[in-house]
Amino acid sequence: MAELAPEAAPPATSLRARLFSAAREPLWAALAAVSAALAISFLAILATGKDPLAGYGHMLEGALGGFGPLGESALKGSVLVLTGLSVAVAFTVGLFNIGAEGQLIWGALAAAVAGRALRLPAPLAVPAALAAAALAGALWGLIPAVLKTARGVHEVISTILLNWVAIHLVHGWLVAGPLAVPASANASISVAGTAPIRAAAELPRLLPRSSGSRLDLGLPIALALAAAVWFLLTRTRRGFEWRATGAGHEAAEASGIAVARCAHEAMALAGALAGLAGGLLVLGTEHRYPGVFRTGYGFDGIAVALVGGATAPGTALAGLFFGALRAGATRLQLVGIHQSFADLIQGLAVLLVAAPRLFAPLLARLRGKRP
Amino acid sequence: MNALANAASAVLDFAPPLVLAALGGVLSERAGVVNIGLEGMMRFGAFFAAAVSIWTGSPWLGLAAGAFAGAASAAVHALLSLRYRADQVVSGIALNLVALGLMTFLLEALFGSAGVSPPAPHLPHSLFGHTALTWIALVVPFAMHGFFSRTALGLRIRAVGEHPRAAATLGVRVLPLRALCVLGSGVLAGLGGATLSVGILGQFDSRMPAGQGFMALAAVVFGKWTPLGAAAAAVFFAAGDALQRQLSFSLHASDLHLEGVFLAIPYALTLLVLALGIGRTRAPAADGVPYEPEGR
Repeated sequence: MAELAPEAAPPATSLRARLFSAAREPLWAALAAVSAALAISFLAILATGKDPLAGYGHMLEGALGGFGPLGESALKGSVLVLTGLSVAVAFTVGLFNIGAEGQLIWGALAAAVAGRALRLPAPLAVPAALAAAALAGALWGLIPAVLKTARGVHEVISTILLNWVAIHLVHGWLVAGPLAVPASANASISVAGTAPIRAAAELPRLLPRSSGSRLDLGLPIALALAAAVWFLLTRTRRGFEWRATGAGHEAAEASGIAVARCAHEAMALAGALAGLAGGLLVLGTEHRYPGVFRTGYGFDGIAVALVGGATAPGTALAGLFFGALRAGATRLQLVGIHQSFADLIQGLAVLLVAAPRLFAPLLARLRGKRP
Repeated sequence: MNALANAASAVLDFAPPLVLAALGGVLSERAGVVNIGLEGMMRFGAFFAAAVSIWTGSPWLGLAAGAFAGAASAAVHALLSLRYRADQVVSGIALNLVALGLMTFLLEALFGSAGVSPPAPHLPHSLFGHTALTWIALVVPFAMHGFFSRTALGLRIRAVGEHPRAAATLGVRVLPLRALCVLGSGVLAGLGGATLSVGILGQFDSRMPAGQGFMALAAVVFGKWTPLGAAAAAVFFAAGDALQRQLSFSLHASDLHLEGVFLAIPYALTLLVLALGIGRTRAPAADGVPYEPEGR
């Protein structure tokens, strides 16, 4: 130590401050990160001797080229908007919800069971099955919140563990055993899974079959929920209390906010949103809990929330973008590239968003040049 | 008894990846850097070990490449979380995502298939019927235990993970030491991944490491962030896995479809231990807390 420095101020410990304070312009940071990720991935294709221009062209066409692709983008996007919101809501109270995957899995299973078991007319069956999905996700989301407030268990650890408990219990046991319908002799193995839901519980399509689009009620539901979350977080007393809890729970507690209750409520909502995402998948496109259900949407929700700056509008935009990216990436096989290329782009975007200081000098320069 | 002997032999084969990755987690977290990226680092190690083994025909070079690739991916984690102050959890998650996409991309670009690599020359099962990695994985936990408890560097690492500012006032350079531990963590996780590809399967599978990095993370917590505890937890989890395989073969447990329950047990147990606070389970005090040197 060269000199005696006064005791430095403690570092900002609020999760939100740590994640986003360095990015004073989250929108520009996100755009810069996504553009850079796309550029790096472009170069990666080039390096392997394949045609990146054609690849990106196919991807654009697969995402936006007509009713069919737009529908696929919206289907994936609406699920990602919900899992992204799940992560973003937990951020608000300072919790890192890595458990959206597990919450989504229980939500999907609850929707499949309720959609099969409940004998309700169409206008009631869908809301009832979605409510079951939300409830299942909320209960699974409450566990890490209670473990955190009552036992001090770090939510990053507990949500990771709970994901794997959910994956193994649902995929390895419930859907394979007690809830499984034996696939008929001529059916392929991928059709196995739970019994199909009733027709009344299927999420209504918004466009006629002739349009070639599978667009369903999921998109309006996801966007309405994004608007509702935005309102809740920014315009209500409860949202203020959650944000105060996230900004520093000692201060929040000192000013009379029931910090533990806020954490429980926010994680229940986070779980409900992820559970609804699972409900959309089952009621919208799968129509059962399939035997092989490799979703990853819950994990992707973390990327969506981070790139979206953890605000509701930003998360909605990021979710739609990554949904389009995933839909488009299925066309990459036309140039001999697996669709998991979308994971690479998404991962790079998060890497770059995660380190806002990477872009700080560039952004400062851009700002300086503006008239 | 034959089933038990088979299970014991299976543990000696299947535990090393988990043990090595868990020790990687211990090394990084004891220095105060959360490592959610173990899964991704294992994936880097598994792929490059197989690739180099295929190209050179030497599984030993493959093993070295796996360790190096693990360290290289860990360098990204260290750079982002220490130099650019990215949140450590986020940086680990991003690393996992990149590993997921990049390895499949490279697999397809280099070997023409997005599913599995061609067969890779794998390590000989010459030492009492097991590969050298089995014995390495038996030795490293004790070596790391001795390193932490008996050496000055080990003490410094623990200090940096518990109270970095106090360590800094005693002249320890916090960030370089943390970076070194993250790199070491990458070497161990990379070796663990290499064990999967050139030790066990003899090729790279695009699903590798199939959650083993997260199970290693659970072992770190279950083992209370100590080398011997984490290694024991990893062996315990691997034994459970081997037992499950034996049961589903020998006892036809698959008719009951209880495999999923078996597979969920390690995670549920770890959660239970945390929830009940059995035996003072505590993470290093500064684990995951970013360190800002003074006067910056």
